[in-house]
Amino acid sequence: MVVVQRKELTLAERLYLPEVLRGLSLTFRKFFEKPITRQYPEQPLPTDEVTRGQPRLVVKDDGNIACVSCGMCEVACPAYAITIDGGETDRGIEREPKRFEIDMLRCILCGFCEEACPKDAIFMSNELELADFTRAGLVYDLEKLKRPKSALQERIDYVYRLNNRWRSKQ
Amino acid sequence: MTKIQINGREVEADPKQPLIRACHDQGVDVPMYCYHPGLAPVGSCRICQVEVAGAPGQPSRVVAACRTPVSEGMVVSTDTPKAHDTRRECLEFLLKNHPLDCPICDKAGECDLQDYAFNEGQGKGRSSEPRRKLEKRKSLGDVIVLDEERCILCSRCVRFFTDVTKKAQLTVEGLGSHSVINTYMDKPLEGNYQGNLADICPVGALTSKKFRFQARVWNLSKTLSTCGECSRGCSISVESLRAKQVKRIRPRYNAAVNQWWMCDTGRHALAPLTRALAPEGEVLGGRLRTAAVRGYNGLECSDDVAALDLAADMLASHPGTLVIVSPFATQEEAKAALALAQALKATPQFVSPAPNALKDDLLHTGDPCPNRRGLLELGFGALAPADALAALAVAPSAVLAGERVLELLGHAGLALLPKKLRLVAFDVEASDLASLDIAFPVPTHVEKSGHWINVDGRVGVLNVALPPPALVRRLDLQLAALTAKLSAVPQGS
Amino acid sequence: MEAFLADVPEWILWVAKVALIFGGLIGTAALMSLAERKVSAWMQFRHGPNRVGPFGLLQPLADGIKFIFKEELIPEGANKFLFRLAPALAAIPSMMTIAVIPIGTIVVGEKKIPFSIAQLDLGIMYMLALGGLSVYGAILGGWASNSKYSLLGGLRASAQMISYELTLILSILVIVALSGSLDLGAIVTAQRENGLWNVFTPFGAVAFVLFTIASFAETNRHPFDFAECEPELVGGFHTEYSAMRFALFFLGEYCAMTVMACLNATLFFGGPSVPLWPEAPWFLGILAFLLKAGFFLFLFIWVRWTLPRFRFDQLMRLGWKVALPIALANVLVVGAWVAFTAKGS
Ligand code: SF4
Ligand code: SF4
Ligand code: SF4
Ligand code: FES
Repeated sequence: MVVVQRKELTLAERLYLPEVLRGLSLTFRKFFEKPITRQYPEQPLPTDEVTRGQPRLVVKDDGNIACVSCGMCEVACPAYAITIDGGETDRGIEREPKRFEIDMLRCILCGFCEEACPKDAIFMSNELELADFTRAGLVYDLEKLKRPKSALQERIDYVYRLNNRWRSKQ
Repeated sequence: MTKIQINGREVEADPKQPLIRACHDQGVDVPMYCYHPGLAPVGSCRICQVEVAGAPGQPSRVVAACRTPVSEGMVVSTDTPKAHDTRRECLEFLLKNHPLDCPICDKAGECDLQDYAFNEGQGKGRSSEPRRKLEKRKSLGDVIVLDEERCILCSRCVRFFTDVTKKAQLTVEGLGSHSVINTYMDKPLEGNYQGNLADICPVGALTSKKFRFQARVWNLSKTLSTCGECSRGCSISVESLRAKQVKRIRPRYNAAVNQWWMCDTGRHALAPLTRALAPEGEVLGGRLRTAAVRGYNGLECSDDVAALDLAADMLASHPGTLVIVSPFATQEEAKAALALAQALKATPQFVSPAPNALKDDLLHTGDPCPNRRGLLELGFGALAPADALAALAVAPSAVLAGERVLELLGHAGLALLPKKLRLVAFDVEASDLASLDIAFPVPTHVEKSGHWINVDGRVGVLNVALPPPALVRRLDLQLAALTAKLSAVPQGS
Repeated sequence: MEAFLADVPEWILWVAKVALIFGGLIGTAALMSLAERKVSAWMQFRHGPNRVGPFGLLQPLADGIKFIFKEELIPEGANKFLFRLAPALAAIPSMMTIAVIPIGTIVVGEKKIPFSIAQLDLGIMYMLALGGLSVYGAILGGWASNSKYSLLGGLRASAQMISYELTLILSILVIVALSGSLDLGAIVTAQRENGLWNVFTPFGAVAFVLFTIASFAETNRHPFDFAECEPELVGGFHTEYSAMRFALFFLGEYCAMTVMACLNATLFFGGPSVPLWPEAPWFLGILAFLLKAGFFLFLFIWVRWTLPRFRFDQLMRLGWKVALPIALANVLVVGAWVAFTAKGS
């Protein structure tokens, strides 16, 4: 059992008024300190390569989507946020998503999809803002998810570096 | 029965079966690619190798379990380092040329090669040689696509045609690392059993055109059911995606009916199961959503209790009703129809369309009535569509009940029926017939549970693979409700 | 201009003064609602409201508009009449008390216009009488809401206000005794003539401390805001109030604070007199008064964001066992001292 011994108060403390004055002087001094609040919309949140923003789909330099709708991210997603319907394409890769939806309201930004993807097709972007007037508007479809590879390059490099470090440990 | 020892356990084995069956019967896992219990063993892939102790004083041998008959006193071990090593080496050879295609391959998730490589393979390849570059999308007829790169040349597909359909169509062409599977003279595959190739190919080399890239197999929920395309009633598994759509139908092993196979007619009979609903508030133009009653503007959606009351009144005031059910009616539905027929003092009958030309020696019976035998046993009379239409033309009133009953009678013939006929139909879809007064929706045979009895008297089970549309109730319950209403209404009033 | 001002009839001056002073009071109350948030923000390294207008200066306006457009709710089972009456009862008396505060003297040429609405001989009595009424707002509001939180808030408000009113009155009594008048103007004059603000006399200093403490309790301010006390009583007596009625309670509270700050400046800090410069021009006097009152307003906020809330029993103990005896002793000693010096002279 923990017995907390109450501190014996000095006379000055028991008089209370001196302590009040001490408190007032403290708050008065803090009065002149610089605010640490971030003025959000004007000063956006800092992002970095490690920022796990919303997942986005890579569009390769040749204009084609990198995703082959293998469904790995769909099963990896712990929030059941991803829904994919595949379909055939004439490109060499044969298969591509016809429907790829991420319910951003369900997504918990865990990055499991990024980790699961065997095709380097889905990455956590640095996009953090999410607002809409309807729920349906926050279920992002293929068009809303596509990003050129260059926009995600920083994160892609980071993921590669991370994986290489992990591999070299094996 | 022969006594052998598997992994230190004394077991009895059937001497007519290869060793791999004895192992599987004992629940001992031995991988296999070229062996298929329905096909003659050839022992070409060597993945099934197990260690068999030699005679006293002799070293043990590694043998292919699919080609080795069991013999008295055999001592088999599947789990020794030697057995594992042999199999791993064999696997490495198979993977030497197999592409790393799993993300796009339809077989992923149910692929024997993937499973076994995952369990026992090594993480990395050791070869620096390039893989074979072959054709990735070679069409073999209307049903099957061949990806030559993925093929591991197990020859199951070749033997399927020689052993099962008894008409060879495929062969291994070329020698050594140039071998590929091809049809004779590049002719497209034919026959009603091509779909089975996609099932038996242990890898994703042969895939079904209809199912290609439709869904990932681990997302499909599988429901045990029975095929309704002929009176054979093959055991099937109905595979649906997100409880919304049937994506694929595959055979399921049933020694007494279809073994491992099924015909393509049944496999591809998805259209009747994926019919779209009629637009909200409308009766025609798709599946019925609610009961419908004829009003001033033709058939109008109605509350099903009111429609049932109306139907009871109508039938009671027009005695001499015909009761005709669909050959798709389950035993449960047929019994409910029997009670209804009794209440109406009618002879129960079912529509029996003429046999079609799909009959073959393997499975298809050519008879499109999945529950003919069951209905006959219950005392229903078989009625050809033309006879049924003739009887309807002179009847005061009739009840037509069961999935697709209108379609089987023929919409053209039904349209000619006189207006004064009081017609009550229970079907998945209504049609714009002058004589149709009241229509009730029913579930399809993948949306309900029940039983059919096949041509040999075997019971086939139906299970709910998809939820029926919101307001659609089971047919047997609806018929029972109508019967109850009828007994409450004074007859002939 | 001067001639014009000298000639304007008396009643126009009155109307102008009333408009100016009440307008100033309400404006101060509105600004206080902003200042409260700004000061608390600065003390916590934040920015405070800064979206509406430059530096958020139009925030009170935005709040006002919001209050006007919000839905007025009257809870079921509430006494509708009293429920509607209470906010007015809370706001009006505290606004009326400002009338007797001498803010200074406006000198136009030869004419001296006292800058206060009324110069009553019984100014202090008037203030106390009206100030005592404002407790009805809290009590009635709490009772009429038909909610346990409101009722408890109202009960606490009445207990607290009555307890501290004693101390408040006693500490004012000291000043009355010292200056020999109930007229606030006379009290200011007395301080100017003595050349010494009351706070610098020994009795005055004690009275000042007691008065300040009591004024916090009287205005329901931290650390004595038991009538509202969010963690225990949701919102206290105004839990059920919304929209403009709620805003009226707010206004009443801030007006009461303003009046208390003015009173404090008048009683203990010489009102509009400029320290060490008795001949200072009249507008400096008014400025001095505003600065003094402003400081006490700031003190209200400052204390609120520094001290934690008391417990109700601690509040009562402080009121009855500490403040009241000291105030009584102070009055007795002052009385004796005044009587003694008067006799001696
Ligand atoms: S894991 Fe990658 S390739 Fe596969 S479906 Fe997801 S994004 Fe597409
Ligand atoms: S980040 Fe996580 S939760 Fe979001 S889609 Fe990817 S796997 Fe699902
Ligand atoms: S196509 Fe499939 S079944 Fe045929 S040989 Fe190749 S791997 Fe075997
Ligand atoms: S399964 Fe035995 S050799 Fe292929």
